[in-house]
Amino acid sequence: MKDNRNTDNQALYGQYLKATHTLGRIMTLLVLLLLLAAPFAIGLFLEAMPNLGAAAKAFLGVGLVYLVSGIVEYLIYVPMLGAGGSYLAFITGNLINMKIPCAINARDIVGVKSGTPENEIVATLSIAASSLVTILVLALGVALMIPLQPILQSPVLQPAFENVVPALFGAMACKYYRSNRVIALIVLGVMSFLFVFVPSLIGSTSMMVIPSGALAIGLAYLSFRRQRKGREGSK
Amino acid sequence: MEILSKLNSPFLYLLCGGIILFVAVICVVFGVRAYRAGKALGIDVSRMKRVIAASATFAVLPSVGILLGVIALSGSLGTPWPWLRLSVIGALHYETQVAEAAAESVGIGGLSLSGMTGEAFSTIALLMSFCIMWGMVLVIFNGKAYSNRLSASALKPDAAGQGKTGSASFGDSAMTAMFIGLVSAYIASYIGQIVSENGLFTFSGNWLPLAVAVIAALAMLVFLKIREAKNAEWLDSFSVAGSMLIAMTCTIFLAKLM
Repeated sequence: MKDNRNTDNQALYGQYLKATHTLGRIMTLLVLLLLLAAPFAIGLFLEAMPNLGAAAKAFLGVGLVYLVSGIVEYLIYVPMLGAGGSYLAFITGNLINMKIPCAINARDIVGVKSGTPENEIVATLSIAASSLVTILVLALGVALMIPLQPILQSPVLQPAFENVVPALFGAMACKYYRSNRVIALIVLGVMSFLFVFVPSLIGSTSMMVIPSGALAIGLAYLSFRRQRKGREGSK
Repeated sequence: MEILSKLNSPFLYLLCGGIILFVAVICVVFGVRAYRAGKALGIDVSRMKRVIAASATFAVLPSVGILLGVIALSGSLGTPWPWLRLSVIGALHYETQVAEAAAESVGIGGLSLSGMTGEAFSTIALLMSFCIMWGMVLVIFNGKAYSNRLSASALKPDAAGQGKTGSASFGDSAMTAMFIGLVSAYIASYIGQIVSENGLFTFSGNWLPLAVAVIAALAMLVFLKIREAKNAEWLDSFSVAGSMLIAMTCTIFLAKLM
């Protein structure tokens, strides 16, 4: 009975994933086309089309950096977000400062394992809910822009809103550092050393996630192998 | 001023609002599909509801931060375009940098309303769309293959014959480690900022981000201790948002000390 149920679930999950990829690719492509077409529609409205030469020049100046960081983000974050979560997250953006911590937090709260159907479902639900909240907050904010602007931009509240990301990473660090103290201490130490001695790297922190993550994964692998050997030895 | 009224015209609100509405519908469709699939797969409905509640709560404060980005950019780009960019695909730190660089390359010196022209705006808008589309492009053309490869590797039995999603999985450790790497890179950059931002070992940089991170971490520790002592699982849904709120409130007072 249990085997039948597992087979049914696997088939169901397979169908779900297949449909998610089809839907995800179509929707992402549509959004991409809309985003690329919008500047031309605005150009028609303003009677001033984009200057393609200037755009190409600027792309060579700054865009290539984003091309590299886009590839890196894709390679790193798809394994964290699963299929449905990835399509949604890349459409809605704000990955580092919201979607990734949000999905990881949700995964942790309900205790699901990576690579499982539960992880796929939880990540998609998490990204969908957080994206809708952002869309709603921004829509309300834009609708109430005139009364809200003096409050949100008041010099008193400004420092609080300028430090949303440090507050987010501080809270998340406590949660994850507690159960991985050695790895956290080494990675934080090495990265601090780099930023202190090469302060120009501070402006490229999003790129520095790569060596930092690689070091953390390397250390986690060593710890994993040691624990596995310990378990095998005790058998 | 005429350009600003055009950038805030009903046409631009309609265009940008329409795309945002389309993306909201996509989020609803994906969310509903995942919820239904979760139910069909036998995932506890209350766990899925907890995920939705926790994620929604989690997103409120960062969303207000993003709204400030919209307000900041609205002075030079009008409101509808930054609203679209930061609701869909964009990220606060990217958008401002790209818009600034684009403004320089179209010859208006920098991102300001005084030099803004129709051509400059449409070029900036195109560049903002083009520069930050690579994640979407990759997920369209390679997302399925990459996800399938990851799933196959997660399900492949190891030497002991166990599926890697079982207790012997390295996948979970790797995900957690990657996240520790991400958080550590940012916190280390705050340390570097204090120590060497204005020259090696000058200790005169901005200390507020690190102070905020430390306060948020301490608040989180209190939440975790209460959760463990009282077995209050419900607290998980609010602990991150609560810690952030405490830290951000403290920032207001700390900033006065600077």
